[in-house]
Amino acid sequence: MSAAVMASPSLAAQRGILGAVLLVAAWEGLARGLDLPSYVLPAVSDILASIWSNRMLLTQAAGYTLFEALAGYGVGCLIGIALAVVITMLPPVRSVMLPIATAINSVPVVGYSPLILLWFGIGVASKVVMVAMAVSFTVFLSTLAGFDRVDRRAVDLLRSFGAGRFKILFRLRLPTALPLMLTAMRVSTVRSVIVAIVTEMLGAYGGLGWIIYQAVLQIDFVQVWSAIFVASAISLTFFGLIGAIERRILFWT
Amino acid sequence: MQAGLQTKETGPVGSLEDAAEPLLELRAVTKTFGEVTALARLDATIARGEFVTVVGPSGCGKSTLFNIVAGLEEPDTGGVLRFEGRSCHAADLLGQVSFMPQRDLLLPWRNVVDNAILALEVEGVPRQQARAQALRMLPEFGLAGFENQYPHQLSGGMRQRVALMRTFLFERGLMLLDEPFGALDALTRAMMQRWLLDVWQKYRRTILFITHDVDEAIFLGDRVLVMTARPGSVKLEQVVDLPRPRRPEIVTAPEFIRLKRILLEAIEEESIKSFQSATVREQTS
Ligand SMILES: Nc1ncnc2c1ncn2[C@@H]1O[C@H](COP(=O)(O)OP(=O)(O)O)[C@@H](O)[C@H]1O
Ligand SMILES: [Mg+2]
Repeated sequence: MSAAVMASPSLAAQRGILGAVLLVAAWEGLARGLDLPSYVLPAVSDILASIWSNRMLLTQAAGYTLFEALAGYGVGCLIGIALAVVITMLPPVRSVMLPIATAINSVPVVGYSPLILLWFGIGVASKVVMVAMAVSFTVFLSTLAGFDRVDRRAVDLLRSFGAGRFKILFRLRLPTALPLMLTAMRVSTVRSVIVAIVTEMLGAYGGLGWIIYQAVLQIDFVQVWSAIFVASAISLTFFGLIGAIERRILFWT
Repeated sequence: MQAGLQTKETGPVGSLEDAAEPLLELRAVTKTFGEVTALARLDATIARGEFVTVVGPSGCGKSTLFNIVAGLEEPDTGGVLRFEGRSCHAADLLGQVSFMPQRDLLLPWRNVVDNAILALEVEGVPRQQARAQALRMLPEFGLAGFENQYPHQLSGGMRQRVALMRTFLFERGLMLLDEPFGALDALTRAMMQRWLLDVWQKYRRTILFITHDVDEAIFLGDRVLVMTARPGSVKLEQVVDLPRPRRPEIVTAPEFIRLKRILLEAIEEESIKSFQSATVREQTS
């Protein structure tokens, strides 16, 4: 059993690497073979070369975006979990909060971006707020679902030991909710980078989204792709990191 | 806390009163769930140090009775609940009774020791102290060497012993065990029964024990309560006057057979009733 568990991720990783290599090869062959113009599809090698020559600019922009994404992610996770805890601990709040949260969440977060940019300016703050909103809703809804998954009989067992709400929260509800909570946090990594970049494209002083926007204005599509590649690398690393943490924490599942 | 309980049980002061006064008393306890009446005017008395077994057709309200005594469900008004000589609400019993539900309900993210100390932790005993206490008890529960295993790595019998250990570590005057051996195979079950009697004799707890197995009820109990079909109440109280310690062969003793006949007859009657009412319900619906 442990052998299978050990083997399956590495097999998946092998397949993933193989798929990526094939994709890059096909891309390179297509772009070079058909001599496609760069506004249709630049060759991978050109993009990588451009990344290398613009490494200072891209590193700086990546740092800018990463900061926004991480800050928003951290704040969003905290808010999402805190809201779920409050609603669970104070059931009357639930019937008031849940419809409001659902209503706000029913519009894609990007829909709020003009307002957020208006209120928080086009600096870092508006990106952090946007990311935090996107992340907090996902984490909130999943954590709440996780809390609701708790076995009533287990709650009763703890009550029979004399446990109050807080002891039941920490010893039972939080661990029960952890798998769903961490799944939401893993999915949110990619979302946080995407939302940061999209918001930057709507107005910013820096970051990968800002670079993409400027590059489009200058009709420099190799640069657009360079920024996209860097953004993907950040997303995948972030995703993989949280995924690894998730597997370590959830040893019992 | 522990010391307080001990002086109550064995201390010289007031021990005469204590001997006379039952630990738990239920008078005309009724519980309805909407349309369903689970318990109807149930009377029962449990003395200190007694091992009382409860048998009855399934669905007759045995678990409901336990939920009330554990403080999890409030009975309907009109009945009387007395614990340690005081009239009380069911909710007052939360934290006062050590309750083992029908399922083991071990927490998958906790290893054997940490599952066993759950109740102690809730009580506020420091973790290290609670763990040390649990580690000392492990061999007695046949779990020596398994302290770091997780529930999914254990057999059914072992999981049940962990749940029992969790119940024992929560030292209270009254223990409620809801079909603790119901899911075990016959051999494991027989072993667990003997083992439970040993542990009970050593720790001298008062035990209320639900089972659907008449042999088990007689083998373990000082007294057997037979419940009626739903709505549940006590149909028959049978004292089991077999000597202790009880050997496995006792199940073939004439007195054992005689008790078994009496109990089976009473249970049979109730099972037929509950079967008939079930079929009538099916026909009318
Ligand atoms: N929380 C509840 N809500 C509604 N009905 C219940 C509840 N608990 C028990 N009952 C009903 O009460 C009856 C007795 O159940 P229970 O005490 O579990 O029986 P037993 O343990 O003897 O098999 C059953 O008909 C069951 O459906
Ligand atoms: Mg039951």
